[in-house]
Amino acid sequence: MTVSTDTHIEEVKKDITFRVFRFNPQVDSKSYFDDYTIKVERGITVLRSLNYIKEHLDATVSFRAFCQAGICGSCAMRVNGLSMLACTTQVWEVLEKCKEPNVIKVEPLRNLPLVKDLIVDMDPLVDKMKNYSNWVESTMPEEQMGRKEFLISEEEFLRYDKATDCILCASCVSECSILRANKDYVSPAVLLKSYRMNVDSRDSIHDLRLAELVKDHGVWDCTHCYRCQETCVKSIPIMDAIHGIREDAIECRGMKDSSGSKHAEAFMSDIEKKGKLVESTLPIRTNGMAWTMKNLLPMAMKMIVKRRTPPPPPLVKPSKGIKVFREMFREMTEHVRQDQKSHKK
Amino acid sequence: MKRYAYYLSCINESMTKEVDRSIDLWQKDLGIELVKMHESTCCGGSNLDYVSPKHFALVNARNIAIAEKMGLDLVVSCNTCLMTIRTAKKKLDETPALKQEVNDILKKEGLQYRGTSDVRHLLWVLIDDVGIDAIKAKVKVPLTNYRIAPFYGCHILRPSKVLGHDNPVEPSSLDQLIEALGGQSIPYEHKNRCCGFHTLLVAEEESLNVAAEALEEAIQEKADFIVTPCPLCHTVLDGYQSKALKQAGDDKKSIPVFHISEMVGLALGYSAKQLGIKRHIVT
Repeated sequence: MTVSTDTHIEEVKKDITFRVFRFNPQVDSKSYFDDYTIKVERGITVLRSLNYIKEHLDATVSFRAFCQAGICGSCAMRVNGLSMLACTTQVWEVLEKCKEPNVIKVEPLRNLPLVKDLIVDMDPLVDKMKNYSNWVESTMPEEQMGRKEFLISEEEFLRYDKATDCILCASCVSECSILRANKDYVSPAVLLKSYRMNVDSRDSIHDLRLAELVKDHGVWDCTHCYRCQETCVKSIPIMDAIHGIREDAIECRGMKDSSGSKHAEAFMSDIEKKGKLVESTLPIRTNGMAWTMKNLLPMAMKMIVKRRTPPPPPLVKPSKGIKVFREMFREMTEHVRQDQKSHKK
Repeated sequence: MKRYAYYLSCINESMTKEVDRSIDLWQKDLGIELVKMHESTCCGGSNLDYVSPKHFALVNARNIAIAEKMGLDLVVSCNTCLMTIRTAKKKLDETPALKQEVNDILKKEGLQYRGTSDVRHLLWVLIDDVGIDAIKAKVKVPLTNYRIAPFYGCHILRPSKVLGHDNPVEPSSLDQLIEALGGQSIPYEHKNRCCGFHTLLVAEEESLNVAAEALEEAIQEKADFIVTPCPLCHTVLDGYQSKALKQAGDDKKSIPVFHISEMVGLALGYSAKQLGIKRHIVT
């Protein structure tokens, strides 16, 4: 007989406490947590545990759930601080991340208004999807609708295949750093959907959608923290979509008059000229002299006093071997031009 | 003496010169030699990749190829440079046509990207190569009695498919370094969160809100100082600290923010003056 030394495998049942966030705005003046301790078998999900609690211990615990198979996206919540689907998360998986042994903290998603207990209001997200036209506005004339297939190439489909996996569970919304700082921000889920619609050749409102995305609280406000991508329950590379919209905005006529676009392009031009970023003039090139004087002058003075930034004019020594580097950089520029030409064909 | 090709980050050549200055003081004490790559260029700072993906690949293939020519791993001390160069490496290794196209151009400089040099953060080198025990043995002024708030920053953790060293949810390398130097690493929610740097010039109010939350939590947890492996996080948490806390209505408080290179230097017996700590805005 072999004896397993893995206690996780040996233990097939455990007493687990679910510390559940509670708040009923009709009764409570502030939120609190209720503890429910139940015997849980290995393999049981967080959602099944919550269902058991609701059925046997406390019928007033409120949460949203439906498919129980990671398809509908209804049961996203924070388990031990991280946003995930309760139906695809096994209790055993999250035990190691408990601050107190065998106590699992269950809370509602962040960055959306709370309705009750673990239920948040999805309307702000839906409103943003409407604002950024997160649907395909077909190029097909109405009289042909339903009579003709509207085919796309496999190559095109692969560009948004992953993005179509999104089930709108809002886990990424809950983890977003910028949404936490400003609720008006477009949100990663809406950026992902917008990207998916904008690369679809059947869609007719690309420019309209992009014009909306480059405005305030849009695509340029993402701070590249990658929390959305890291938490995505479908492993969608959300940042690729955000970068895709930005690349599109830089290439598209009339979409470049934004501080985000100017900031990004400054990197390209500095690298070509110096091989280095000229940081001290970046604020002026991004937002203009007036903004820089108004917003950054007191801090710039402190920085100059502390020698963190040189007094003007800033001199940046180019990288060693810059001459050959520039030639190679420009050769690649020629490659990109050729690519664009053949793409247009 | 283990040798590495040391990538010169733009910010460490301008606003945060104290990073390289402090590393220069103690690298030999810990048995490592960081050979400066004067030919390296800006990695694109998490921006060039979408402005022009092909230039992004060329620039970073070249940066790595320089390290490969030296026969050394490439080491950086900026999180965003780490993430950016590793992203390019992954793309080049997974896309043979792109690698070929880039190498055809790099020939001009007698360089070739092979994919043989790893791209690593200085923090990883300290933990994995120098080792906790060797660091402990070199400590002259242990940071005993200091409550230290580790601030990892995003691009040493996420995307984890590109970084892959620490668990992005429960990172430990910086905590291990703090403990090795005799300090007390405090648990707090913001240790793996964002500093807001990358939108400072585009969405300043949002960025400062993000920074203020981290600063306020570290202050509330009674940390003596914050330490970060990223000069960009340092720039926000130190340089923009008073502005961020003022925006949050909390500007009477302050907290010093150190680079890991300074924290190591202090524990190895170098003075604040030698390490350039006086260059910080919050001292």
